[in-house]
Amino acid sequence: MISRRYGVLAALGTLALVITACSPSASEGESDTSNGGGETTLEVWGWRQEDVAAYEKIFQLYEDANPGVTVEYVPYKAEEYDTILRTGLSDQNGPDVAQLRSYGLLQPVVASDSVVPLDDEVDALADFPTEVLDGARGVADGQIYGVPFALQTLHVIYNQAIFDEHGLTPPETWEDMIAAFTTLNDADVVPLAATVTDTWMLPIQHEIFGASTYGGSDYLEQMLAGAATFTDRPWVDSLTTWNETSPFWGSQYKGTSYTDAQALFTSGQAAMFPGGVWELAVFAQANPDLELGIFNVPPPPQAAVSETLVPGYLDGSFGVSANSPNQEAALDLVRWMATPEFGQAFTDELRQISAVPGVEPSDELLAQALDAYLANPSPYVTYAYFSSGEPTAWDLASEGLSNFVLGQWSAEEAADHIQRGVDQWFEPTQ
Amino acid sequence: MVRADAVETRPRLRRRSAGRLNRTPAGWIAAFCLPALALYGLLIIVPLGTAFYYGFFWWEGTQRAGFAGLGNYQEILTRYPLGTEIPTALWHNVLFFVGTMAIQNTVGLGLAVLLYRNPRFKRFFQTVFSLPYLISPLIVGYIWSLLLSPNFGPINYVLRSVGLESWALPWLGEPTTALPVLVLVNAWQWIGGPMLIFLAALGGIPQELEEAAALDGASPARAFWSVRFPLLMPAVGVITVLTFIGCFNIFDLVYALGGSDGGPGGAMDVLGLLYYRTAFEGGTNAIGESSALAMLIFVVIFGFAIVLERLLRRREVTQ
Amino acid sequence: MTPLSPATTRRAARAPEQAGPPPARRGPGFGLRRVGVQLLLWGYTALAFGPLVLVLVGSFRTNADILQQPVGLPTSLDLGNYQRAWETASLSIYFLNSVAVTVAAVSLCVAVSAMAAYALSRWRFRGRAFLAALFISGLMIPAKLGLLPVFYMYQSVGLIDSRIGLVLLYAANGVPFSIFVIMGFMRGLPLELEEAARLDGANPGRMFVSVALPLMRPALAVVTVFQFALTWNDFFYPLVLMRSDEKYTVPVGLTRFFGEFAADRATLFAGLVIALVPLAIVFALATRHIISGLTAGMSK
Repeated sequence: MISRRYGVLAALGTLALVITACSPSASEGESDTSNGGGETTLEVWGWRQEDVAAYEKIFQLYEDANPGVTVEYVPYKAEEYDTILRTGLSDQNGPDVAQLRSYGLLQPVVASDSVVPLDDEVDALADFPTEVLDGARGVADGQIYGVPFALQTLHVIYNQAIFDEHGLTPPETWEDMIAAFTTLNDADVVPLAATVTDTWMLPIQHEIFGASTYGGSDYLEQMLAGAATFTDRPWVDSLTTWNETSPFWGSQYKGTSYTDAQALFTSGQAAMFPGGVWELAVFAQANPDLELGIFNVPPPPQAAVSETLVPGYLDGSFGVSANSPNQEAALDLVRWMATPEFGQAFTDELRQISAVPGVEPSDELLAQALDAYLANPSPYVTYAYFSSGEPTAWDLASEGLSNFVLGQWSAEEAADHIQRGVDQWFEPTQ
Repeated sequence: MVRADAVETRPRLRRRSAGRLNRTPAGWIAAFCLPALALYGLLIIVPLGTAFYYGFFWWEGTQRAGFAGLGNYQEILTRYPLGTEIPTALWHNVLFFVGTMAIQNTVGLGLAVLLYRNPRFKRFFQTVFSLPYLISPLIVGYIWSLLLSPNFGPINYVLRSVGLESWALPWLGEPTTALPVLVLVNAWQWIGGPMLIFLAALGGIPQELEEAAALDGASPARAFWSVRFPLLMPAVGVITVLTFIGCFNIFDLVYALGGSDGGPGGAMDVLGLLYYRTAFEGGTNAIGESSALAMLIFVVIFGFAIVLERLLRRREVTQ
Repeated sequence: MTPLSPATTRRAARAPEQAGPPPARRGPGFGLRRVGVQLLLWGYTALAFGPLVLVLVGSFRTNADILQQPVGLPTSLDLGNYQRAWETASLSIYFLNSVAVTVAAVSLCVAVSAMAAYALSRWRFRGRAFLAALFISGLMIPAKLGLLPVFYMYQSVGLIDSRIGLVLLYAANGVPFSIFVIMGFMRGLPLELEEAARLDGANPGRMFVSVALPLMRPALAVVTVFQFALTWNDFFYPLVLMRSDEKYTVPVGLTRFFGEFAADRATLFAGLVIALVPLAIVFALATRHIISGLTAGMSK
């Protein structure tokens, strides 16, 4: 009898003991990995599955110049990447170098000390513009944790053939634009392939159509200083401005997903696609016959600024894992990633805008996008500047704008949703 | 916490005969019970206990930062909008459960009755009706979201071409239709379960009862509802519990149909998604907050389950 | 907590299925009703099968075709989609992983559950009721909520990105349901055979293997079928616990595939068909056993 009772107790005791075994612990003892001087393999993790082949080519340049080093790009699905990276960075079997998200999404890996601060390691960072470095900065200590790789700019992408067919040109004024939309609507062509169900696209579309209404960077400065909010008139009005284009989103826009919108555009059923410059490569691949153009939305009559603003932000950066057994080699690699050689290869192979200063995209449209951005840059406010606390303005905006375009909430309610959430943690700088 | 007596009652009736089988050496007991206990304890109970423990700390990424007490609980319950999303998500789980009971299980019963009365091709129908359950809920979700796409989906295309233009809605994009569509797609996948269980239970009901009712002049429908249906109540109990477990644990299907935000305006947001977002799309303190949320969800589901079980037992007593 | 009292399970399922249909009642309108019933059944068949047929048909069309006209027949029997799906998605590897993980997890789960359920329903010992309740309460535990701790536990013992870790986790997940079903079933079994074996001098282990196990077969079939589908279809655990592409199971592999071919519906459809066909074959071959296992389990 005693032995039986003991058996149960022992079992429970074992369970209790194991509790201690499953708490996260920084793995210690980084001794046994191959560092001798022979071969080093660096794993670079990223969220761009479609880019594997291009990265292979890019890293080939580095491997040729640095015999003994092999660089391997290991991509994960974008939606799951953050989870995988956070856990992966906490041990040695994770990456040596990793693509890090920008702004607020970067903060969790910084907070857990999983990545190495690069201010003193990568001298070339000093040449990068501050706005670009903001995307790779830890908010708690102001240090830079990654070498920025790509700028994303936001535009209206259009199908040249459809524009030609209906005698349209990129609009110079807001009225021109609405007139063009109306022409297309009357001709049974969907003017704008707008994404609605994938809510992360909504703040992007809002920036594209609404930036000049609230005023872009000027307004952001006031917001950061605490002198303006999301619920103030200019920002609320920018929501309404954007929503004025909804009659041109197609008849069933409420159910249109991101991939549906892409398919509408690439199959020639829609004339325009409001989105990021990264779509250009995707569209070209889906339909190589497509002739593409980009324009930015001219300011509507009541806009706060008279320029045609071009929203843009830093997509991400390459950081070095604090748990990497090959940290020196990894640092060498990210130093190279701050050079024009890498930047040029990056923009050529991936059809993206390199964040390395002075690198000119060889692709014509990318060059146009970059020039336009540099002339009249505008921030991606909810994603870049109000996303370092919980809840992030980006999440709040996705929810709020979704309810707004679905007709559940008014513009004021959507703006209030964002402000109320952000107020819980955001401290103005003055 | 545990209705140990429920497990106890039945064997007690047999105690006398079982009595002789019961002198089993402790070694055998350990050998038979420990493997299951070790697996289950180590990988189910312990992690849950650990989550409970995690919930009492602040976290910075994957580093534990300091004792939080009930801080994380306070945080998730009061922070806007998370604090309002929890009851909403719970309510959607409840609606989903009620909807599934009403649609999936009544249609399942209907099909079972039809098959019971018409055994022709019975095996074929059984097979076809329950086939979708073999498909991963995630794939089911992907398939249906492709089919229901307002632009390229065949369903709206067909509706339009047969003149039902006004029926061709953006099904998964409209807050009012999203949850009903979720119930229907889920039912499409799982209908085989209740159907098979009802079919088995129908087979177990003696013929004489219904015939007697018919002789008494009851219509077939009346005979079914007053004679046969009450005898199906135990099967209803089994199905209710299985449905409950399924509905409160749902994640994959909603994720595939509406993404991690839970569809238009969060109309399909459920507890599983909310936990996923907090744990895997959360900020720096994600581990602390999601662990606290996990405990809340656990308590809620467990509580509901106990109430449900009580109700079912009471029903049975009155039968 | 037991969600169902044993009485519920027993009554739900009392008599064997062989009781057969009621003798048809003859009367006016009988034939008409019969036609109506057949119509309903075939109607639902269309509903159950239709979506899968649409996927199958779509997989032979070109993407441009599908985008222009969502419903339609393929213009030519083009296998290009299949070729693309097969080459890029490494579905064959995912498939082998799924088979290995599922078979191992289900066998392990059924084996340990059968033993525990046998001990819990046949032997009297202190703590038995508690242990039984502990196991069965697992039915109501949303096990996924413990994923984070499991992750760190696995990390500390090197089971991340390991198929063994996945097998153990799936097996553990199946234990409550399996014990629940097998115990319910055991309660309905007469004790005479075991009694006789005991009198013959068989030890408990022998009694379990040669007497109880064969009797348990219908319950084991139910449990196997249920766990098989659940394990085969899960994507949550491998998503978080697996790192390398060559260890992914089918559902995770498919999410990856979906990300990659989001814009190319035709290839997506082909990938789905490739993923579903083996399952359909298994199902077609095993239908008889699956259905009889299910019904037998429910009716004992």
